[in-house]
Amino acid sequence: MGEVLTLAVSAVLLAGFYAAMAYGLGLIYGVLRIVNLAHGGIIMASAYLTWQLFTKLDLDPYLAIPITLVVFFLVGLAIYWCLVRFLPRGSAGAVQSLLLLFGVWLIMRNLAYLLFTGNDQAIRTRYSTASVSILGASYSLNRLVVFGVSMVALIALHLFLTRTYWGKAIRAVGQNRDSCTLVGIDVERVYLLTFGLGTALAGLAGLLASTLFAFNPSFGASELLKSFVIIVLGGLGSVVGIALGAGILAFAEVFSIYVVPSYLTSAVGFVLLVVVLVLRPGGLFGQRVLG
Amino acid sequence: MDGTERQPRSARLCALVALVTLAAAACAPSQSNRGGTDSGAVPDKIVIGSTLPLTGSESKAGGRLKQGYELAVELENRDGGVDVGGKKVKVELKLLDDTTDQAKAVNLAQRLITQDKVDFFLGTYSTALVEAQSTVAEQNKIPYVNGGGAATSIYGKGYKWIFGTLAPVENLATTEMEWINQQQSDGKLAKPAKVAILWENTSHGKDFRKGIQDFATAHAADYKVVVDESFELDGKDFSAVLSKVRGAKADLFMVDAHLPDFITMHRQYLSAKMCHQIITYGARGSEADARETLGQEGINYILSAVWWNKQLGDKGLNQEFVSEVKTKFGAEPEWYQATSYEAGRALLTAISKAGSVDKQKVRDTLSSLDIPSILPSGRLSFPQDKGGQASYPFVVQQNLPDGTAPIIYPAELATGKGVSPNPACKG
Repeated sequence: MGEVLTLAVSAVLLAGFYAAMAYGLGLIYGVLRIVNLAHGGIIMASAYLTWQLFTKLDLDPYLAIPITLVVFFLVGLAIYWCLVRFLPRGSAGAVQSLLLLFGVWLIMRNLAYLLFTGNDQAIRTRYSTASVSILGASYSLNRLVVFGVSMVALIALHLFLTRTYWGKAIRAVGQNRDSCTLVGIDVERVYLLTFGLGTALAGLAGLLASTLFAFNPSFGASELLKSFVIIVLGGLGSVVGIALGAGILAFAEVFSIYVVPSYLTSAVGFVLLVVVLVLRPGGLFGQRVLG
Repeated sequence: MDGTERQPRSARLCALVALVTLAAAACAPSQSNRGGTDSGAVPDKIVIGSTLPLTGSESKAGGRLKQGYELAVELENRDGGVDVGGKKVKVELKLLDDTTDQAKAVNLAQRLITQDKVDFFLGTYSTALVEAQSTVAEQNKIPYVNGGGAATSIYGKGYKWIFGTLAPVENLATTEMEWINQQQSDGKLAKPAKVAILWENTSHGKDFRKGIQDFATAHAADYKVVVDESFELDGKDFSAVLSKVRGAKADLFMVDAHLPDFITMHRQYLSAKMCHQIITYGARGSEADARETLGQEGINYILSAVWWNKQLGDKGLNQEFVSEVKTKFGAEPEWYQATSYEAGRALLTAISKAGSVDKQKVRDTLSSLDIPSILPSGRLSFPQDKGGQASYPFVVQQNLPDGTAPIIYPAELATGKGVSPNPACKG
């Protein structure tokens, strides 16, 4: 029983990180209907930015959160303004957007190879291996903090989308773009804001990842895939659904070790993805709009 | 008009001649005359082809292997070149960047062999790339010596032209177990010891697991494997497998992992306040990266084993090698430079001993080669029963609290004394 409880807490902590990883991808897809393949590249770039701030300026990763959010919000605006806004809207632009954003990811990855080589990097803070005892079992302090940051991001995003004008505008555009135009919402500006926000959230995920894992320029690929699984599980475009999708994936991965060899645990998520796509194409929690 | 009619006819004639020439060329033996089976004559220059991952994810290792290959060639040329049947022949290394890409490694090897007509080949780095590229060398019957492919799967295909200086990862596990066995015999470790094996799901990990399993089976009364789990590369959460290890109350925590997984898993291990009489992550633990990312306290008493270590470098061939690397590249050598240097040296020695650049003769010489070496056994050969893969013990190191990681096994190479059981577990 104790072991099950320990694993359950581990799964919850993992779910926190997974959710943080998927918010950005889900938000952009929910509104622009674009699968942002540069999401993995942003996560990788943010890990490097955090590492640079830590090694060069001795800035603690968690204190660097505001800087990361601002930097990647601007990066998102730049990518949208320079590239994405020229794509055809809706399903007509789906393939182009995949190719374009995949290209952006490749450029980012190769730039990272040029700047930082292929060496693995990791951030070590005073608390990297510190632990906290909960119900007799020890858990990584870092993972608890990552979970906390992820929950704060979830609540903040939810409040933003439900309580502010721009949040409501984002949800409205996600629901019906044409009607928004009719009532005077600047759809182009909403798209720009959404892409910036989604990219900033991917940046946050990269920062959190850099405190937990080693990374190199190839980092971000499995994060992108898992994020995709999560947004499909949770229902495309639903923020709370994303958090629940992250929980399902994390629990499935952690507890599947009782059923399958541990090297197959990552495959469990993809099996879930296929099953959900076949049985409930709108995700486990339905095709809801954001919020 | 006549002229225009005549021109196509002559063009067609030219095309026919070209076609016949091409057909004749295609029917001719694919071997280059420069180094082919009929090459009695000694050429003015020997060209060795090679590709390495100089960019991409394996660029760090690729850059180091490059240094080893270049050093082997430079030292040979410094003496006037390879002695081939009494004539000194200069060596040229034609090295290309395969960008850590399997397809590119294969295509570039094909180009070097068929178009550039290199005489011999020095292999690329990492099991996946060597495995793909070695097929090209085998098909073209060109001696292929590599310092970067360790998996036994490369050498288990019955290939005749492939040779490797990296000993199997099985030997890593076996050498570590031999030291552990000594400690157990001295009464320092539990008997029988409960062993937890966690291995990455790659050929590297599989070979590691086999080494431990075989040793435990051969010493069934002394070792009992209680956990045997593999994990996917770049794992994000190891709590489940670590929980299994904890539940099994293992004494020996034997893991094979690459650096990113080592860092993630060991952080979780430390956070979970786990401790074992013996901890190893295969080759990981003694490198500067480990100390920087986990702290000295986090890596104390971890056992690691590598193919070569600079601590071997205070006498003989090793001293010369270490000194040359420091002079030429301004850095301390690691095992990457050592095994690639040995690959280059073995190939050049085989050419010299064969007294010819005939590929078949050089291949035969390589297969029976047995030369003094900088590697831990002091000798280098490519046993036929191992498919041309060198086999020797690894050097086992242990991280100590003073920041050093002396070689603790084999005894004849030891530069320090190992500690067991892990003192960090007390209290």
